[in-house]
Amino acid sequence: MLPVPYLSFVAVTKNFGTLHVVETPFNLEIPRGQFVAFLGPSGCGKTTLMRMVGGLDTPTDGSILLEGAPVGGPDRRRGMVFQSYSSFPWLTVEQNVLFGMKYRTDLLPSEKRARALHYLKLVGLQDFGAAYPNRISGGMRQRVAIARTLAAGSEILLMDEPFGALDAQLREELQVELRRIQTEDTKTIIFVTHDVEEAIFLADRVIVFSPRPATIRADIDVTSILGAVRDLTTRDGQAFFNLRTKILHMLRNAHTAAA
Amino acid sequence: MMGQSVAPLARLFVFRGALSRNVRLAAGCGTALLALAIWSAAPAFGWTNPVFLPSPLDVVEALWIMVTQNGLLTDAGISIARVWGAFLLSAVMAIPIGIMMSSYRIVGSSLEPLIDFIRYLPVPALVPLSIIWFGIGEETKIFLLWLGTFFQLVLLVAEDMKRVPQEYFEIAYTLGAKPRAALTSVALRSMLPSLVDNLRITLGWCWTYLIIAEIVAADNGLGFVIWTARRYMETSQVMAGVFVIGIIGLVSDQAFRLAHRMMFRYL
Repeated sequence: MLPVPYLSFVAVTKNFGTLHVVETPFNLEIPRGQFVAFLGPSGCGKTTLMRMVGGLDTPTDGSILLEGAPVGGPDRRRGMVFQSYSSFPWLTVEQNVLFGMKYRTDLLPSEKRARALHYLKLVGLQDFGAAYPNRISGGMRQRVAIARTLAAGSEILLMDEPFGALDAQLREELQVELRRIQTEDTKTIIFVTHDVEEAIFLADRVIVFSPRPATIRADIDVTSILGAVRDLTTRDGQAFFNLRTKILHMLRNAHTAAA
Repeated sequence: MMGQSVAPLARLFVFRGALSRNVRLAAGCGTALLALAIWSAAPAFGWTNPVFLPSPLDVVEALWIMVTQNGLLTDAGISIARVWGAFLLSAVMAIPIGIMMSSYRIVGSSLEPLIDFIRYLPVPALVPLSIIWFGIGEETKIFLLWLGTFFQLVLLVAEDMKRVPQEYFEIAYTLGAKPRAALTSVALRSMLPSLVDNLRITLGWCWTYLIIAEIVAADNGLGFVIWTARRYMETSQVMAGVFVIGIIGLVSDQAFRLAHRMMFRYL
């Protein structure tokens, strides 16, 4: 008997009324611990597919299975990191991370504090615990959201263009950080982006989408090309450049095909 | 070139330019003092008849007499109590109903047309009706103030709730919160700053309607004092009464603003 895949989309379709976001039944299997980037043009349906994993949208048809069981409404196993409004402005950095464990009854208050501190350290914010989000940079706010989701104990991180609002330098810095965090605290990540370099740099695997209605244009195993270890020099290599060009062409053709 | 003008006067009139705090303060005080000076000069030089426009000193004197001999502070206390009574009643009703309107489409769709209709009814036009219903006791005053504020406030609250980012709810859900918990620990907290602001504005409206209510149906309160003074052509007393309302309004507004700053330091 075949082993049950960790996370799978099985013949998923989605429409909002007459708007068909995913028309052709969508199938995809994601093994545990894989960092997957959903790459595609704006409005192609990649975010909707990711939100369905989180239970924030439901498939019109088909199902999403987590270890063989269909996912229901949102819960702690699948955490979200948004691009904006990602942390609560009325809570300090530490309180934001603690909020991730607010609804956990299996932890003592002292354990929650210890966990909060651990994840603040992991994202490099141990010195900013008492600060309010308006006093820290946009990049730090995204770190807060990541720490909160990890502290909550989520196995799957669903990230919706989390670095989209940051300037180029900060964005690169956070990409390196996220890659490091993921190797230290292995999680399954679905990372939605329309930035080709970001997708290649971060992910083990890039799913390239066509314009809406969403179909898979390519499923690229990046780790076999670039290796698992990524650092700032990764971007300078020829392999990175070639892969980037190849994907850019795919996206360009996708646009022409739609037009 | 902009902002580099040498002449001091020209520096004050840089289009959309910056101005130091002291200059702004001086400009504000200067205008107020100028207005006061013109007001003082007008009756003194016989430009206006003091019966219609008493001097500032006359008004201060009238205020002093009203406070020490006529129990003006009692009337002010009565008016404040009426305003706060009606204000709290409006708030206690409008906050939960407004939140429900934005939480459940069915509640919003059911209530909105009715509220929108009543909201446009002018309060003074409903004075006769409320006297028929409630006589001229406290009920009429509270009713009129409530009428003027509740229907406005409930829509403002509904709007505050609507503006809570969907992301906040979704973050809470994916952290294990149920809708009710998301409402109390996230949505209420998120909307609180704008809610406090809207309450402050509503409190101001209460004073407008209070004067109407006290003029038509009262034997005490600031509105009654002002209206009575008018009957005897005591213009300085009329102005003193209005002045007291202005001061109370200013103080409560500033108190609200201060509370807002202290409560929401994170903004």
